Amino acid sequence: MLEIRNLHVTVGGKEILKGIDLDIRAGEVHAIMGPNGSGKSTLSYVLAGRDGYVVTEGSIRFKGKDLLEMNVDERAAAGVFLAFQYPLEIPGVTTMTFLKTALNAQRRARGEEELDAVRFLKLVREKSRPLNVSDDMLKRSLNVGYSGGEKKRAEVLQMSLLEPVLAVLDETDSGLDIDALKTVAEGVNALRSPERAMVVITHYQRLLDYIVPDVVHVLSQGRIVKTGGKDLALELEKSGYAEYGADAA
Amino acid sequence: MSEKATQHFIEVYEETRAALPGAGGWLARRREAAIGSFREAGLPHRRMEEWKYTDLRRTFEKASFGPAPVHEGAVVLPERRSASAFAAIDRHVLVFVNGRYRDDLSRAGHLPKGVELHALDDVLHEQWAKDLVERRFDDARQAENIVDLNTALMSDGACLRIRKGVKLDKPLHLLFVAQDAGASHTRNLVLLENEAEATIFETHIGEVASFVDVVTDIVIGDGARLNHVKLQDEAPDAVHLATMRARLAAEAKLSSFTLTLGCGVSRGQSFVLFSGEGAEASIDGAYALRNRQHADQFCVIDHAVPACTSHTLFKGVLDGESEGVFQGKVIVRPHAQKSDGRQMTHALLLSRDAAMNAKPELEIYADDVQCAHGSTVGELSKEAVFYLRSRGIPEAEARRLLVLAFLEEALDLAPHNQAKDALKLLVSEWFGEAAP
Amino acid sequence: MAAVKETVETVGEIEKYKYGFFTDIESEKAPLGLTEDTVRFISAKKDEPEWLLEWRLAAFRRWQTMTEPTWAKVTYPPIDFQDAYYYSAPKQTVKLDSLDQVDPKLLETYEKLGIPLTEQKMLAGVAVDAVFDSVSVVTTFKEKLAEAGVIFCPMSEAVKKHPELVKKYLGSVVPSSDNFYATLNSAVFSEGSFVYIPEGVRCPMELSTYFRINEKQTGQFERTLIIADKGSYVSYLEGCTAPQRDENQLHAAVVELIAHDDAEIKYSTVQNWFPGDEEGKGGVYNFVTKRGDCRGENSKISWTQVETGSAITWKYPSCILRGDNSRGEFYSIAISNGRQQVDSGTKMIHLGRNTTSRIVSKGISAGRSSNTYRGLVSVHRKAENVRNFTQCDSLLIGDRCSAHTVPYIETKNPTAILEHEATTSKIGDDQLFYCMQRGIGEEEAVALIVNGFCRDVLQQLPMEFAVEAQKLVGISLEGSVG
Repeated sequence: MLEIRNLHVTVGGKEILKGIDLDIRAGEVHAIMGPNGSGKSTLSYVLAGRDGYVVTEGSIRFKGKDLLEMNVDERAAAGVFLAFQYPLEIPGVTTMTFLKTALNAQRRARGEEELDAVRFLKLVREKSRPLNVSDDMLKRSLNVGYSGGEKKRAEVLQMSLLEPVLAVLDETDSGLDIDALKTVAEGVNALRSPERAMVVITHYQRLLDYIVPDVVHVLSQGRIVKTGGKDLALELEKSGYAEYGADAA
Repeated sequence: MSEKATQHFIEVYEETRAALPGAGGWLARRREAAIGSFREAGLPHRRMEEWKYTDLRRTFEKASFGPAPVHEGAVVLPERRSASAFAAIDRHVLVFVNGRYRDDLSRAGHLPKGVELHALDDVLHEQWAKDLVERRFDDARQAENIVDLNTALMSDGACLRIRKGVKLDKPLHLLFVAQDAGASHTRNLVLLENEAEATIFETHIGEVASFVDVVTDIVIGDGARLNHVKLQDEAPDAVHLATMRARLAAEAKLSSFTLTLGCGVSRGQSFVLFSGEGAEASIDGAYALRNRQHADQFCVIDHAVPACTSHTLFKGVLDGESEGVFQGKVIVRPHAQKSDGRQMTHALLLSRDAAMNAKPELEIYADDVQCAHGSTVGELSKEAVFYLRSRGIPEAEARRLLVLAFLEEALDLAPHNQAKDALKLLVSEWFGEAAP
Repeated sequence: MAAVKETVETVGEIEKYKYGFFTDIESEKAPLGLTEDTVRFISAKKDEPEWLLEWRLAAFRRWQTMTEPTWAKVTYPPIDFQDAYYYSAPKQTVKLDSLDQVDPKLLETYEKLGIPLTEQKMLAGVAVDAVFDSVSVVTTFKEKLAEAGVIFCPMSEAVKKHPELVKKYLGSVVPSSDNFYATLNSAVFSEGSFVYIPEGVRCPMELSTYFRINEKQTGQFERTLIIADKGSYVSYLEGCTAPQRDENQLHAAVVELIAHDDAEIKYSTVQNWFPGDEEGKGGVYNFVTKRGDCRGENSKISWTQVETGSAITWKYPSCILRGDNSRGEFYSIAISNGRQQVDSGTKMIHLGRNTTSRIVSKGISAGRSSNTYRGLVSVHRKAENVRNFTQCDSLLIGDRCSAHTVPYIETKNPTAILEHEATTSKIGDDQLFYCMQRGIGEEEAVALIVNGFCRDVLQQLPMEFAVEAQKLVGISLEGSVG
């Protein structure tokens, strides 16, 4: 589904990713671990198509198409979803309005019929319940005044509603206490399916206790330095990143 | 034919120009041009937007000021705390009586190498002095025009130049005493070269019907830093008009704080122009007015280049029939991206007859900026007074505590710790004085 | 985002102004220019009583001694007041008794504007007065309103049928000498709506007037007068459009509102006059004086405006809070794009005790436009316990536009609590990226964020208007992002 070949990326003239190769098939969950500054977030932004992240070499193919040729919203409509480490606040736009606008924009882009208010409302309610997202939260401005846990739950709700083909979760565990982490992880696990792939980016092994990956990659200084099964994460928990050329920070 | 009050100053100029510093040189020509512009514009009045709340024409129609005499004898400092507010601080002192420098009363000791301190007359031949005097900012023309009056009539002033990288060892205190009734026109010039540092205190005191007109022109070089603490406390029949114009180069810093205990009519104008990136200016003040005092704080900050930061906070309390004015403007020029401009003004009205006018303006021509202003006016919170009284604090004391707490936020911005403490003490005593 | 940078390069798209068509209909005009004879001509056309002619002439003579105000932050070439027509009316010989007799071309025009005038097609609960150039074309739902005792009719009809009311209130809030444009209006006003809500009546439906400038070189000078008697309530909506023309059209209206004891008037405007093309050619000069007088105790006047059109907007809907406990509100969205210039705001004059006011202003500038908020909050000596809260936010899109805030805060009473806050911001690149990552296209994302920015004001609009206004926000900003 996703094929990354020899990907080099610079940000502000500085090379951050120095030749990444990665293959992800439908149904798989890949974890990308690594110390701070290793290029984890850069990889997620490049996949989503953020400005300022310049691909100098290499390719990304998604479902057989050149992902780099598509702009941000086209990628989203094609099924790429990024759960942000720091979800943005948009004052005055209620979460409900935002969800509806996004869902219908994607449906429109895919040539599908837009959902009317009634069907949309029913769908949102259905998706919100397991994530503990209240009606009150949906009526508030998007992410404004949300606690850290609420923000992450709202991200997972968006993912569950937009039903992406490839979901990239950037440090979804940061700032969460253990109960919030469990709720979020359950939400993510419920979305695992044979048609969907996930990339879980994290610094700590903790999250992977709850979202168990098929493959674990270690990213260090812009390169994937090791790939293994889920046990690799446990190993890292014990030994830290020191042996991969980084501080154990 | 200009109206009477304007004409008065023109006549004073005609009579005294031969005796003013710089006669026969470039300054004489500059004075001539300035009086011409002054004649044309006339004294500012309330139909001019920038003088809407302070009508100088009316002020000088009601009270006329001839030139203050040169005072050569002994000077008795007024019996007010303000006169000795900074006395306990180790500092250089320059004393000006009726607007003229008095060497015999001053104490500027041994200055570090690279610090040049002169009276106005002694620097007129220097190019930097000429540049400073001739410079105009032009972003609030109606307000700046009044500087022409000072240019035409200025008789003395403190001129400080600090060479590159030099730090003034201790604060320089400019003490202006109005000993006899009449008008004085003072021009201070300050040039801090790159990486230089200085702290200046400025005090204006007097118990006579004086018109003090002081203009301070400042240039702050790359990475240089100027701290300025001003205290003004003059007589009820005095008029005080002060204009500060400061240009800041890259990474320069200016912190200026003014405590206005006022006089009859006072107007403090600050113009700040950023000419290099990364500079910071903090223009703040507190005022406490009573009886029929009128004080106008006017402040224009021009973000002409990107990435500069400005901060303005003025807080005041108004008792009796006093009137406070705050007019501020933050300008962000096209392409001055990453500018950060904040402007706040808060006033407490302590009496039925006090009044406050505020006009905090933003003028923004660039999109990637953070600018905000806020203004509040109100009286002391009745609940807070009640709360303190319920704990056994008498009402007068409760009000005093709350007012001081209110002013404290502004006073804390005075950029010199001992001076800050001195100003706090003054304010606390101001409140202790029984209003006549 | 880079796209925003390019913004400005491509601002060109404003010709999407969909109301820019012109209706070819025969009209009758006053001779070009403005003299005492023009004033007499208009008055005669309207078959007006002597007192009103005299009132107009007094205003005209005064106007001749006045000069145009220059304090607003707008620039435009001098206006030649002699090179305009001050009266234009679709030619219609018969007096209209019902809709059937209205020229079908006119009905068609309003259909095109999305304002069907045939009652069976009307939105339920909105009565419409349609003003075409200088005359009112038709007023709907008259009978139903009459049952409730509500008078809703063109000003010219009110002068004839309710002269005592007109005489009593006309010019009582905006005196004919008030300012240059209000005085001009007093001399030459030709039409407008008149509303009177009797004591204790809650107007059974929204009242609405649609103003349309059609003829070229023609100024529109309508005069609206709304009186809410004791304990009554009315919500009034006003919409405006004009054909797309190369030359500038002058619009100088006066609106006067009077609220007696316990009465409430809610006045909403969606102003979408032609803004001019991308080079700033053409467009309406909108110089409007709107003022409400909370004359009675516990009265309330609320202004809500969505300003998206006009080449120049000069407009300060204000409240005189005279009655004790009265309340004034001003909610405004002003969007400028292309080369539009907006100088708008409000005045809250607190005279009575316990009077309160609230100002929420949202200015959005894009393209090469300039957008100024100018407002006054003034508390008089005897006004005890006044409260005002002002929130004034500016949003800039692109780096060639500008936003200004000029508030005046004046108080002479210590019991007043006045709070003013203003901020300036832009649409964050990261906000845009976030929306687009969820599949929302860039223009839609901008419209979404801007609508969020304006939400506090949009919520004040009546439902039908709110939807229209939200769309308008999107349309007005089209082309403002690359």
